[in-house]
Parts: sequence; C-alpha cells; structure tokens
Amino acid sequence: MEHILSILIFFPLLAGILGFIVDKESARAYGISVAAIEFLLSLWLWFSFDTNSADMQFTEFLPIIKEFGISYNVAVDGISLFIVIMSTMITLIGIISLNEEKIDNMKNMIVSLLFLEMTMVGVFVSLDAIIFYLFWELSLVPMLYIIGAWGGPTRVYAAVKFFLYTFAGSLIMLVGLLAIAYLYHLETSVWTFNLLDWYQLDLSVNLQFWLFLALFIGFAFKVPMFPFHTWLPHAHGQAPTIGSVILAAVLLKMGTYGFVRFSLPLFPDASVQMIPMVIVLSIIMIVYTAMVAFAQKDMKQVIAYSSVSHMGIIMIGVFAMNAEGLSGSIFQMLSHGMISGALFLLVGIIYERTGTKTMSKFGGLASIMPVYATIFGVMLMASVGLPLTIGFVGEFLVLLGFYEVSPIATVLAGTSIIIGSIYMLSLFKKSFFGEVTNESNRGLKDLNAREITALLPLVAIVVWLGIYPKPILKPIDNSVQKLLTDMEYKARTPEAKKSIISIKRAKEEK
Amino acid sequence: MEKLVYIALFAPFVGSLFAGLFFARSPKNIIVGVVNPALIFISWLASVALAFHVAEHGAIHVTMMDWISAGALHIPFGFVVDEVSVTMMVVVTTVSTVVHIYSNGYMDHDKSFNRFFSYLSAFVFSMMILVMSDNFAGLFIGWEGVGVCSWLLIGFWYHKKDVTPDINPAISPSYAANEAFIMNRIADLGMLVGIFLIYWNVGSLQYDVVFKELPHLEDGILVAIAIALFIGAMGKSAQFPLHTWLTDAMEGPTPVSALIHAATMVTAGVFLVIRANPLYSLDAVSDVSYFIAALGTFVAFFAASMALVNRDLKRIIAYSTLSQLGYMFAAAGLGAYWIALFHLAAHAFFKALLFLGAGNVMHAMDDELDIFKMGGLKKVMRGTYLYMGIASLALAGLPPLAGYFSKDAIIETAFNEGTYVLWFALVFTAGLTAFYSFRQVFLTFDGEERYKRFGFHPHEMYRYVLVAMSPLAILAIIAGWFQDSFHEFIIKLLPEYEMSHHTHHNAWWLGLLVLFFAVSGIIIAYKKYARKGDKAFKQDKKVESGFFYKLLMNQYYIPAFYVEFIVKPYTAISDKFWAIDKAVVDATVDFIAKVIYKTGDSSRVIQNGNLSSYLNWMGIGAVLLILASAIAVVMG
Repeated sequence: MEHILSILIFFPLLAGILGFIVDKESARAYGISVAAIEFLLSLWLWFSFDTNSADMQFTEFLPIIKEFGISYNVAVDGISLFIVIMSTMITLIGIISLNEEKIDNMKNMIVSLLFLEMTMVGVFVSLDAIIFYLFWELSLVPMLYIIGAWGGPTRVYAAVKFFLYTFAGSLIMLVGLLAIAYLYHLETSVWTFNLLDWYQLDLSVNLQFWLFLALFIGFAFKVPMFPFHTWLPHAHGQAPTIGSVILAAVLLKMGTYGFVRFSLPLFPDASVQMIPMVIVLSIIMIVYTAMVAFAQKDMKQVIAYSSVSHMGIIMIGVFAMNAEGLSGSIFQMLSHGMISGALFLLVGIIYERTGTKTMSKFGGLASIMPVYATIFGVMLMASVGLPLTIGFVGEFLVLLGFYEVSPIATVLAGTSIIIGSIYMLSLFKKSFFGEVTNESNRGLKDLNAREITALLPLVAIVVWLGIYPKPILKPIDNSVQKLLTDMEYKARTPEAKKSIISIKRAKEEK
Repeated sequence: MEKLVYIALFAPFVGSLFAGLFFARSPKNIIVGVVNPALIFISWLASVALAFHVAEHGAIHVTMMDWISAGALHIPFGFVVDEVSVTMMVVVTTVSTVVHIYSNGYMDHDKSFNRFFSYLSAFVFSMMILVMSDNFAGLFIGWEGVGVCSWLLIGFWYHKKDVTPDINPAISPSYAANEAFIMNRIADLGMLVGIFLIYWNVGSLQYDVVFKELPHLEDGILVAIAIALFIGAMGKSAQFPLHTWLTDAMEGPTPVSALIHAATMVTAGVFLVIRANPLYSLDAVSDVSYFIAALGTFVAFFAASMALVNRDLKRIIAYSTLSQLGYMFAAAGLGAYWIALFHLAAHAFFKALLFLGAGNVMHAMDDELDIFKMGGLKKVMRGTYLYMGIASLALAGLPPLAGYFSKDAIIETAFNEGTYVLWFALVFTAGLTAFYSFRQVFLTFDGEERYKRFGFHPHEMYRYVLVAMSPLAILAIIAGWFQDSFHEFIIKLLPEYEMSHHTHHNAWWLGLLVLFFAVSGIIIAYKKYARKGDKAFKQDKKVESGFFYKLLMNQYYIPAFYVEFIVKPYTAISDKFWAIDKAVVDATVDFIAKVIYKTGDSSRVIQNGNLSSYLNWMGIGAVLLILASAIAVVMG
C-alpha cells in the first residue's frame, strides 16, 4: 500500500460521489461503513508508520504543472499523522451519532461529510502549497452547506459569515504563498511549491516578517485568534451538532497546524520576533473568552467559547520554541479535538431531547440521566485538565514549555486552569445539580445505544491517552525535535537562535 | 516487596471500579459494603507490612512505567515507599478502613450507597498516589485526584437546592463542592509554577534528583520554588486566605468529612512541606519557612476563635481541624518536620473519631446539627459519648492521650526556637481548643435535654459501627506513647530536631502551663454548658448581639467579602466582556462587511447607463488624476 495517503484522500471523495446513488434509507449505514473503512485505513497508516523516524513518510509525488513546479505531493510525519487519524475518527463518530429522525435528507448530509473528510485529510497531508491551499479552501464548502442547510434560525447569516471571514483570511494567505514561490524563483530561478524545498529558502528577516504576517492572517482567522473569533460563536450557535463537532475538533486545528507546518520552519526569525504579539493575543484569548464563556446562558455557547480559550493554550505552545511546549501543543490539538467533539455531541443529545440549550431550563439532570451526567462529568474533568485524562498532558506540557519563554505569561495563561473550572463547573451545577426545576424534564430518557456507541470510544481514548500518552507523544516529539533543530539551524538572528531550544543543544548545555 | 507496594496502591482502585462499574445503577448492595472495606483493609495490611520492611531494610523504590516524555522531560509512574510515605500510607489506610466500615451504617438508607463507596475508594487510591509518588508530577496526579473525589463527595447530595447564606452558610452541597474545587485550583496554579521552576532549573521532577540538586541553585530560585509549592499546600490544607472552602465542605456526608476533610486530604499540604524538607530547611529559604510557621500559628488561633461561638456540630470540628493544621504548619515551618508528621498522624486518629462520633449524633438527631437543640444525649448514646469524650480529650491535649504528646512537642518547639510570640499564641490557642471542644461535648451530651422540646427521638448507632470505631479510639489514646519509637524510625529520613538544654530545663513548667490552659478551658466549658436546673445553659441575647460574637459568627465576614469583592465583580466583568464581544468585536466585523456591501450598493449609480453621468464621472476621475500627479510632482 504505497498509495495509502492517496487512498485516504480520495476514497471518501469517491464514496461521496457514489453516495448520490445510494438508497435514502440506507444512507447512514453507508456513511458509517465508508467512514469505518477510512478510519481503519488511517489506523493501518499508523501501524505501518515508522515511529522512530522523524522524517516524512509515505511520500507520493506526482508533478501536475511542471512549469510552475506545482505537484501532487503528500506525506505524513509524527505531527500530521495523528491529526489525520483524529479526523477520520471524529468523522466516523459523528456519522454514528446522527439521528435519522432528526435530520432530513440524510443522504446529502452523508455526502457532505464524506467530502469534508476528504478535504480534512488532504489539508493535513499536503506538502505542496497549492494543493494545501486547494484542500484548505475546499473544506469551507461542505461546512458552509452543513451549516446553511441543517442549521438553526439564522443559519444563513452564520454560514455566510463563517465562509467570508475565513475565505478573506485565506486569500491573504494565498498572496503570501505566491510571494514565497516568487522569492524562491528569484533566488534559484526554479518554480516550486514544494514545501520541503521552501524550507531550504533563506529569507531576510524583513521579508520573513511580512510573509509571516500574510500567513498569520489566514491561520489566525481559522484558529480563531482574538479578535477574529466572533464568527465561531455564530457558527456553533447555528450549526447542527455534527457541524459543531467537526468544526471544533478538526477544522480549527487547520489553523494551528498551519503555524507548525508553514510559519515556524519557513520564518524562524519572524516567528521568534512575533512571540510577544502572539503572547498578548493568546492570553487575551484564554482569559477573555473564558470569562465570556462564564457569562453565557446557552450551554453550547459555553463550549464554543471554551473552545476558543483552549485554542489559546495551543497557540502559546506552538510559540514556546522548545520541544516540551510544541509537542504538548500538538498533543493538545488532539486532546481538544476529542474533548470538544465529545462535549458538542453531549450538548447535541440534550438539545435533541428537549429542543433547548438554555441552562436555566435544565437543573437536576444528574438524577434523571445518570449515564449522560457521568460521561459529561468525565469530559468536563478532561476539559479542565485533570491529570490522567487526555486534557492534562497537553496543557501541562504547553505551560511547562512556555515557562521557559515567559514566566509571567505562563502564570497568566495558567489561570485557564482556574477560570476554566469556573465556567465548566458552573455549567455542570446549573444543568445537572440541584432539584429538577423543569417538570417536563422528568421523563427524559438516558443515553440510547447509538449515543453510547458514539461516546464510549471518546471516553476510552480520553482515559487511555491520559494514562499512557507515549504511543502518540513519542512520534510527535520525534518530528517536533527535528523541526526545532532545522529551525535553529536556519535562524539568522542571534535572538532567534537563542530562543529556539532544540534538544541537541539542551544536551550540550548539560 | 514490590508486589506489596502495588497491592497497597491498587486495592482501593479495584474497589472503586468494582463499585462504580458493576453496581453504579443498582440499589444498595451489601456486597459493595463488604468488598470495598475489605479491599481497603488489604491495602492497610500491605501498608503495615511495608512499614515493617522499611523499618528494617530501608526504602523501596519502584517504577511502573513511563507516563509523559517530551523533549528532555521524562515523567514515570514511580513510587517510593520510605519512612515518610509509609507513615502516611498507614495513617490513610487505617482511617479509611474504619470510615469504610462506618459508612455501611451511616449511608444505610441512602439510595446512592454504591456510588458513595465507589467515590470513597477512588479517594483512597488518589491519596495513596499522592503520598507514594516519587516525583512532583506524580504527586500532582494524586493532588488533583483527591480534589476531584472531594468535589464528588462534598456534592454527593447534589439534588439539594441552593438556599440563601443565612439559612445555610454553604448554600448547597453542589455550591460548596464547586467552591472547594475552584479555590484549590487557585493554589494548584502556584504548585504548577513550582513544578515548572523545578524542571527548568533542575531538569527533572524526581524527588531524589531534585533534592540532591537543590543546594546548587541560586537563592532567588529556591525562594521562588518554596513560595510556589507552599501556595499549593495552602489550598489543600485550607490555610488563610484560602480557608473558607473547608467549613463549607461539611455539606458532604460525615464519613467524608472524617476521612477527607479532617484526617487525610487536608493534611496533604503539610505532607508536601514535610516531603520537601530538604528545600524548606535550606538557609536561603529560612524566611519562607518562618512565614509558614507564622501563618500556621495565625491560622491555629484564627480558626479556634471562630469555633468558640459556632453552633453547628460539624463546623466546630472543621474549625478545629483548620486550627490543628495550623499547628502542623507551625512545627514544619520551624524545622521540626518529624513532630509535624507525628501530630499529623495523631490528629488523623482523634479527629476522624470525633467526626464519626458527630456522625452518630447526626444519625440519631435526623441530621440536625445545631448543638443548641441537643443536650443530655449521653443517656441514650453512651458509646458515642465515650468516643467523643476521648477524642476531645486527645484534641485538648490532656495526658496521656495522643494530642498531649504531639501538640506539646509543637509548642515546645516554638519555645525552643525562641519565637516566643508564636509560642504564646500556640499555648493560648491550646486553651481555646480545650474550651470549644468541651463546649461542644457538653452542649451535645450533658446539661438539659433540650432535644425533647424539638421532638427528636435519638437512638444509639448500630453496635457494629461502634465496634468499628474502637481502633480509632484506642489509637487516640495510645498513639502518643510511641513517640520515641516513631522518632527513632522517622529520623532516618527526616532531619533530627532536638530541644536545647535550655528548653529541656524548662520543659516541666512549659508542659504544666499548657496543661493549665487546657484544663481551665475545660472547666469554664463545664461551668457554662454542662450543668442542669437553675445553672443550665441559656442563650444570652446580649452576648449574641455583641460585636465580637457577630464577627466570629460571620467568620470575620471573609466569605461575605469574597462574594462582594471577587464573585460579584467576576460575574459582572464576564457579563461586560460578553457585551463587548457582541457590541464591539463582532459589530466591527459586521460593520466592515456592511461598508463593503453599502459601497458596492451606492457605487452602482456610476453605471446607470446614462451617457451624461458617465461623462461627469469621467471628468471627476480626470481631475482626481491630475491632482494626484500634481501632488506627486510637488512631493517628489
């Protein structure tokens, strides 16, 4: 299976096209089967991945437009491998969780999801800037459709806002990418969009700065960083559950992944130079949105804002410039994917049952739906970063790593463990504790088999990777150390050389 | 021996899973009530065996597997059983075993009987991780684990609704649970910072590596680490100003108060300072250590003062716990680590006994907690009276009970260090302790039978529960007699602390002075609260409307202060931020979108198909271009 990555990308596409001719009644079953096969394939990818190597693996290279050096160029390393697996897993779980009674036109939904899956896998394995950009933009289309077709009352506003916002950002990013290709051409008189070639490009600090900024806008809109985050609450507020799950779990990670794959290795000096700005924005993101989350009346909005807050932790990890912080940040991308995905599923379940997400309409749910409350509780604890859950490992490593950059900023960012528990615990208290305030809630049914099937794997992973993160953390760490070594080698300014701590140097100092 | 380590550690975990996975949804199951205490008992047996092993052969160190490794950081699941951790293990499992058996009786009629045992065993497991870990990250696992179990157990009766603070100062179990968790998290941030500091300066989080490396670090960093770790300790051990959660935590079932909020979890902070003694005994951090001692002494007095007037059976005991934790910190801060640990152990026994006795009273009085509504209960509850009497005597520090030896040693330490202010505060507080303990005992068990007026029909606890409590009663009496052998055992690891000749010389009158204060406290309490007939205790409206009474009754208005100046502003600012998010951040984006939209809309008039307007626009355009080039020429 040399072409495993191509299979991973194009199998959902093919299956999606074939999905149009599938019988309406069996659409969900079809979707589950396809997503399951895709997930198994991604697992196969993991098992045949050489975890001791930090390099790109399963590379496929096929020139498309030779004149401009655009090629179909895909590969995975430890950084992207697990994000790909998470994407296929979340898609599978999302499709399992779909309720046939609540979603009309299931067939279209399945087809959209499979297209979306293709674009997600595509983004994370592309090593050609143009192909990357194609998948990046294509991912907007199915999500636009999912929000616009199955969303809430103001879904069109939310969908268009989501689309235009991120699209505007990516256009600026595209300009940046074209500029890099042009600069590469100037230097070597060769046209190429191969990212690995670009890594060799030695840019002046000034150019790095402007290019960093261009890409920053594209990525930051997606993350979304403060103050570009306001499309997210609208999108989550209107999106159907499945949309929110995939949006929070996978699509947001494209932004942070972009920083790791593009900004850091291409512009090491500018990245170091921009640390203060990233710190300020991220800390505002962490503290401010966590407090906004506390003010929400709607359960889903709490989770939506908490998502932004947690993405802030990921951001400072990316810019920690040491292996502890950066590995932690990539691990946190995975853990945030699992946890926020599960939390959005959980909110969706109660919304399906009661038709509301307003917390004041609940109260005392723990005594009516004990299994639901228990799983919610586990995810809550993971979300606030309890040790031995997946949420702790990433958050701990990020904060630990970032402490080397700025102790004060770390303390400020670390307040997320306090304010995070404030909004989550108050959400839990309002909805699950106390007396049953709403008599009509008494008849609510606990989780059914479909919902448990969707949630249990997430619970298992949250605990498993909390106790034994090594199988995931080690390949990530390998690739991260390579990335940092390359960055340190490439950095021009002494400040950047000093800030980037590759493991090799840490050993020499000892 | 490795096997014993794992048995001691994982037996409670198995119990928790057993009750949680198999019986979570079924009604009360007696199998849970038998199996879980049995598993804790097995853990106790293993701990005791390990204690003997450690005494003879020294510490055992096991590494189970890797946990987190990234960059240069490597954290294993490693456990060390040495003199300090094995002492904690024995104390924890002893109290836990008794509390587990006791809970069978106390939670008899609770519909969530199985769930309770699942949480309680999970707590024991977390506590064992906390004390056994061989590194700071492992400690932090246990640290957060006990925090969550505490959250689950304080809020165990989650279905109760919120009430106003004048009816119940804790508002509701779920409120108290959240308060405890969040307040602990504030301290945990300090702890994390301490861990980060250690990592970046030492390169490891293993105790042995860190402690060996400490003397080579700069003074400033040592002080920072010491402060950060102590902030962590302040949260778990509820030291001022993070103390308010502990009294509210009394909303949990009483066995929980006995185990978690008296004997074990709240002593974790003291344990941390004892464990990190190589740090706190360095000269560079002597100021921090002295601060710990001073704060401990302050809390000892501060908490005791609030206990003087309180009418809530459990809250009085909670204050006394707080006060005794202050004593432990005083000893640890003054460098007498082994004495702090000794008091920790002795306190665990008699305080758990006291709480379990209070549980019996609550069981008898239909969960009534107001001691003014009790009185004369000794007739119907002889066994409980005896137990609570013993526990209170031990707490008051009367010979030959446990508290006499351990508390006296702490007070003597304060004298020995020449910190006479601390010394006198501790002596005086010992008097207060005796007074409020016996005020409570007498109001509950002696004097007029006031409960009859309120229509209670008290009854004694089940016999097997009383029998199960006896080990604690015996330990509360005899634990102090083993001071010398404990001393010999523990100083293999902890630094020796010896009294000077001067102190030795004065020891006799120092002891007598403490005793005098304690006995006076008891006599005053007796005169005021234990008599019947004409001299029976009556509420004095005049005292109760006095300034000091109100101040103490309202806990120095600290909880109210927190609500007014932290909770309310935080909520208000959050709401404000949300408003800003909608009205400024989001509105700006919408505004830009609208401007683009409007510009497009209004610029449509340019292309209206009218030739003369096209010419007009062309003219304007030409003028603009000429202007632009003119400006360019002038500027250029």
